[in-house]
Amino acid sequence: MQQRNKKTASPSLSLGNFASTIGENLLNDAKISTRDVNVSYGDKQAIYDASLDIGRNQVIALIGPSGCGKSTFLRCLNRMNDTIGICKVSGKLMLDGEDIYAKKMDPVLLRARVGMVFQKPNPFPKSIYDNVAYGPRIHGLARSNAEVDEIVITSLEKAGLFEEVKDRLNAPGTSLSGGQQQRLCIARTIAVSPEVILMDEPASALDPIATAIIEELIDELRQNYTIVIVTHSMQQAARVSQRTAYFHMGRIVEVGDTNRIFTNPRHEMTENYITGKFG
Amino acid sequence: MQVTSLFLMIVGLGLLAFFLSFQRSARYNGPTRLRSLPHHYASLTAVWTVFPALLLMIVWSIIEPSYLQQKIEASLTTEIADQSSDAIGLYLNRVHLAIASGTVDADPVVQSLVVAYEKAALQSRYLNTAMVLVLCLGGITLGLSKILFKVHARVGIERLLKAFLILCSGVAIVTTIGIVLSVLFESIRFFNAVSVFDFMFGTSWSPQTSIRSDQVGSSGSFGAVPLFLGTLLISLIAMVIAVPVGLMTAIYLSEYATGKFRTIAKPTLEVLAGIPTVVYGFFAALTIAPFIRNVGESIGLSVASESALAAGIVMGVMIIPFVSSLSDDVIRAVPQSMRDGSLALGATRSETIKKVIIPAALPGIVGSVLLAASRAIGETMIVVMAAGLAANLTVNPLEAVTTVTVQIVTLLTGDQEFDSPKTLAAFALGLMLFVTTLLLNVIALHVVRRYREQYE
Ligand SMILES: Nc1ncnc2c1ncn2[C@@H]1O[C@H](COP(=O)(O)OP(=O)(O)OP(=O)(O)O)[C@@H](O)[C@H]1O
Ligand SMILES: [Mg+2]
Repeated sequence: MQQRNKKTASPSLSLGNFASTIGENLLNDAKISTRDVNVSYGDKQAIYDASLDIGRNQVIALIGPSGCGKSTFLRCLNRMNDTIGICKVSGKLMLDGEDIYAKKMDPVLLRARVGMVFQKPNPFPKSIYDNVAYGPRIHGLARSNAEVDEIVITSLEKAGLFEEVKDRLNAPGTSLSGGQQQRLCIARTIAVSPEVILMDEPASALDPIATAIIEELIDELRQNYTIVIVTHSMQQAARVSQRTAYFHMGRIVEVGDTNRIFTNPRHEMTENYITGKFG
Repeated sequence: MQVTSLFLMIVGLGLLAFFLSFQRSARYNGPTRLRSLPHHYASLTAVWTVFPALLLMIVWSIIEPSYLQQKIEASLTTEIADQSSDAIGLYLNRVHLAIASGTVDADPVVQSLVVAYEKAALQSRYLNTAMVLVLCLGGITLGLSKILFKVHARVGIERLLKAFLILCSGVAIVTTIGIVLSVLFESIRFFNAVSVFDFMFGTSWSPQTSIRSDQVGSSGSFGAVPLFLGTLLISLIAMVIAVPVGLMTAIYLSEYATGKFRTIAKPTLEVLAGIPTVVYGFFAALTIAPFIRNVGESIGLSVASESALAAGIVMGVMIIPFVSSLSDDVIRAVPQSMRDGSLALGATRSETIKKVIIPAALPGIVGSVLLAASRAIGETMIVVMAAGLAANLTVNPLEAVTTVTVQIVTLLTGDQEFDSPKTLAAFALGLMLFVTTLLLNVIALHVVRRYREQYE
């Protein structure tokens, strides 16, 4: 691993060459590690040779121009790509040393461990309560109604939504505001006690205040969960993440501590992107 | 001019008006820009040209006959006019006959009347043509004058379109109301002869009434309960088959099947709905009914050769595509984000379908089931052929039963006196059927709405 790290880290600063990742893409004690991941949709390849480690109880931000494969990469981590028939994934993806794409890995259980929050809030057309109770019920996490109650309440509390909705748990989830809906979706994800939470532009449909609340929430959740967040907002990446990975045209160009990436990017493309020269 | 040629002339002038006005407004080069596009002005000119003329033509053709009639009556000599109204009627009939057949009547009085009539008719036609022409040309002149560009043609055309659409929907509504009212009035006549109570709660149906009072024979009994029970029984059997099969098919097609399979399977299924019901009927009568009878007898049940079960099964197959095709559409309309959300929580596919997709699609599914139900209730042909005509009061699916629609058909086919209770009963049955399906729809709408309120 160390050896590889050195090889990939060899600096190649020319604009045209970004075949290998530069920066600190590998870690020692990673929660998730991916090696040489290639993803294609039919004939079209979306990810080339991605190798990236995701640290425990950290927030890692995936940034990059639209269409560069951030969502694709994210969806590999909990095998949501399985639902797209033409999507083929190769390479090694490990969650705590277990092969994510192994035959014996059950994608259903995997997704309970690696939860996901989507760009557009997508509460089910059920009550607020049932939205949160949905996961625990299908996974049999609660033995009694009282236990379900407890899970629902603690999840809503962790998602910072409980105070706002405690009087109307039976109101439909879709009756909440956009920001509340997104926190409901986070609560729903937390309720199945995942280890990792993937977030695909979780605040892009929200106003600045709702965004700030979500960002605060992400910072708190870091204590207990490993979080991977895709974002188009440089400020958001800088505020919430500890590490940042820059994607470009299906390749991971540069990875590093968020501070370092934003103050001292090594690759010209990273620099151009974060200074707004393109992308 | 004849009505058709007059009409063609109006249309021709309308086209001409459109063309001229279009040219003119396209070339318009005034101090300010026009507020509307050339085709708006052209359409407006055409409307001005055509509409008043058409209106006149319609009004004219409505009042012309009575005007001519008046002319004839006015030209009757006093000697004939003083006769009894019967005799006058006779004369007028002969006049009309002579006009219609073109023959020359022997009676000089009739001859003169025919001449008077033809003169009046010719006058009227000339007058009509002249007025139509004046209106058309007036419209064109107006459309080609300066006034046109003062009008906001775009707004005008929009208003006209809206009025036209309202008119069209009005036709549908008025027709519906008309049908309902006529059924209602005939039913009231029926209920004058047979009491409502006997009809609604009577358990015996044998509508044979004696035609003459001295005939021996049944006086007829009009208890509709066996018919409604029969309808209910057969529809229920059909729904028991169609709803689960249709729904499962829809789920498979929308959630599991590959795109290729879907594109083949869905049209194939829809062919089922396109098969004429007569074909289903003889399939039911010649294949299913004997089969059920044989199977029933081999296990020691007595099965009538025409049974509710046979008709119900075949009807169920017939309405499967109603349920499956519509449900498939509504299930596919559930946003992908719902599926993603559920799968990302670690739900399996079937859990997702059961707990998220179906509840979200339920209003639409209920709608498709209702459509299928109303189709089943209204179905006639299969029942005639496979379930029989015997109005048995039974819920045993192995016996012959009959339905409301079948009885309406049998009541009205053949030579009938139109005011006997027997024929009028058909209207009463129709009314009941109408009210029943209406109630069904109202209840279903209510259910769907409550469900929606809860979840959306
Ligand atoms: N379901 C799909 N079928 C085919 N191609 C796809 C599919 N999803 C994504 N792609 C392609 O894969 C590439 C990467 O897409 P992806 O959605 O991962 O980009 P992204 O970085 O998330 O972009 P954005 O920031 O706009 O969300 C794109 O070129 C896209 O066209
Ligand atoms: Mg994306």
